[in-house]
Amino acid sequence: MKKGYKKVERMTPAMRIIHWVNFFSMIVAIATGLYIAAPYYQTLIAEPAVDKYVMAWNRWGHFIVAIIFDVTSIVVAYLYFFSRFEKPYKKVLPTGKNIKEFFAVLVNLITLNRSKKFDSSHSDSFNTVYFTIFHLLLAFMLFTGLQLYVEGLESGLSSIGTWWPSMLHIATDWTIPFSHFLVGSSVQDATIMDVRIVHHRIMWVIIVWVVFHIYYQVWRTIFWQEGDIAIAFGGSKFVKEDKKAES
Amino acid sequence: MADDKIESVKSLFTAKSAKVETNKGEKYYENLYAQCRERLDNLKKIVPVSNNIKIKEAIEEEGVSRRDFLKWASATTAMLMLPASFTPLVAEAATLMNRVPVVWIELQDCAGNSEALLRSDGPTVDEIILDIISLEFHETLMAAAGHQAEKQLEDAVETFKGKYLLFVEGSVPMGLNGQYGTLGAKGETFIDHLHRVAKDAAAIVAVGSCATFGGIPAAAPNPTDAKGVMDVVNGKTIVNIPACPANPSNMVGVILHYVLTGQLPELDSLLRPKFAFGYRIHDNCERRAHFDAGEYVEEWGDEGAKNNFCLYKMGCKGPMTFNNCSIVRYNEGVNWPVGVGRGCIGCSEPDFWDKYAYERPMANANIKAPTGGVEKTVDQFGLGLLTAAGIGIGIHAAASAVAGKKDKGEA
Repeated sequence: MKKGYKKVERMTPAMRIIHWVNFFSMIVAIATGLYIAAPYYQTLIAEPAVDKYVMAWNRWGHFIVAIIFDVTSIVVAYLYFFSRFEKPYKKVLPTGKNIKEFFAVLVNLITLNRSKKFDSSHSDSFNTVYFTIFHLLLAFMLFTGLQLYVEGLESGLSSIGTWWPSMLHIATDWTIPFSHFLVGSSVQDATIMDVRIVHHRIMWVIIVWVVFHIYYQVWRTIFWQEGDIAIAFGGSKFVKEDKKAES
Repeated sequence: MADDKIESVKSLFTAKSAKVETNKGEKYYENLYAQCRERLDNLKKIVPVSNNIKIKEAIEEEGVSRRDFLKWASATTAMLMLPASFTPLVAEAATLMNRVPVVWIELQDCAGNSEALLRSDGPTVDEIILDIISLEFHETLMAAAGHQAEKQLEDAVETFKGKYLLFVEGSVPMGLNGQYGTLGAKGETFIDHLHRVAKDAAAIVAVGSCATFGGIPAAAPNPTDAKGVMDVVNGKTIVNIPACPANPSNMVGVILHYVLTGQLPELDSLLRPKFAFGYRIHDNCERRAHFDAGEYVEEWGDEGAKNNFCLYKMGCKGPMTFNNCSIVRYNEGVNWPVGVGRGCIGCSEPDFWDKYAYERPMANANIKAPTGGVEKTVDQFGLGLLTAAGIGIGIHAAASAVAGKKDKGEA
């Protein structure tokens, strides 16, 4: 360890596992989702249909990672409020301290690190708000996705019983009028296509989110010189000891 | 209007959508059978008021054999999701169809649904039955015009008060107080016309995409502010039979269900009969295997098209469209859009022209003029830019004022 630097733990092993599970799920979800939306590669025409199952495999992969996302989201939602390590919701409450910190971090970013008037050892308000936005987007993807999924279970039956489609209807039918409101229309009746359009567009919002997330964490690593990028791998970063004392 | 929206949201939350109960248990069907028997016996006692054509004669005249008629009866029984034991009742109900008076009005439409019934070269049993129903009023078909026609409508509404089924074809133009559409010698607006005839109807059956969800007249930019019947008429039982045109089988199905049971069929959250709109086209599509295999038609007339591959990449909307086309098909099961190799355009879904019919996958459907229209874009972009500049000037001026003060203080 560099002299004068102190190690701070920022992500527990559970948080890191969730992070990387989400990372791989995201890649699979986008790759398969784009194929489902508009198949972008062709299968060999010479092969008979019985030998291939390309769309079905893509849908299978998409649904499997969706279910993994569902479960990690439930875990994240629990940790958000009840984590014994760090409760993120405390950082998004609009208290004077949080608002001040949020803008201090924002100023640090837009002044290209010329001003850094906050404690960078713990998870800051700006990053937590950003994290929260991601999980809200993801939650919306899950609800719209499950609505699109249950659309194909018209008989009300599923391999695990009738409770599952019924529950999905109760949990996700609201996305139809809500998506209709988001998409807008010259007709007042909501249609399932609105859900599909919204599900597809939110994917692009999430991709934009990911681009900035990666850029920003790399930027922090370069400009702060505190090893922030290591948080996602080793769970900890390093801050100057005197600096920590000063704030 | 706001109440309607709340109602439609409520109905979505009650999870009435999608789930189709195909088997309701023996006891239910036994009761229903007894109920139908009684209903048909009562109907038999009524002498048809204006229409004395007998179905048996009509069918023979059109060259349909009795065997074909019975085949039709069992197919229709299956379509209505009733057990096979109901087949004789369905056949009997068909012979009693002229006991139920029907008033058919047309609003903002192309008469395509009427055409679909009337202009086929070989009439199907469904179409013959629609010929012999007690059609008391139909602008396109009747000989009367002007004041005479209006008199006829008034008579029909008066005579069959509370008993007739009102079929509506076409959307309702709500813009300019309804002045986009007027009819008759008095220049009555479509809105008033609909309300007047709807008031005394036993139930309203909206046929075709225009009458159900506004259809093509309601496509962007919807100049006439067209709406479907269910968004205009309140407090009435409404059945929607969307599609462009609506399948005659489904129209007959609804009337037959009404004749048979005295009730309207079970409806989903968009008021569509579940027997017809409970399942997606995709679920029973003959090209479904090619969808799962990833075998798609890439362009019209290619090797995939010759091999009947899936039309998803050509924009087929079968996976998102609820209708029974893939089972019932059109013209007595002759063929249907996917069968002829041109994909589904989702014509039975709300807002289909803007959101389904662009003939490419949804993700590639960027067919509107950039950002919604050339002039519109320029106007809105200009206004936005001006606003941004104004805000910028404001911030700069305020910042300058603050900074200026500081300098003075220092000096």
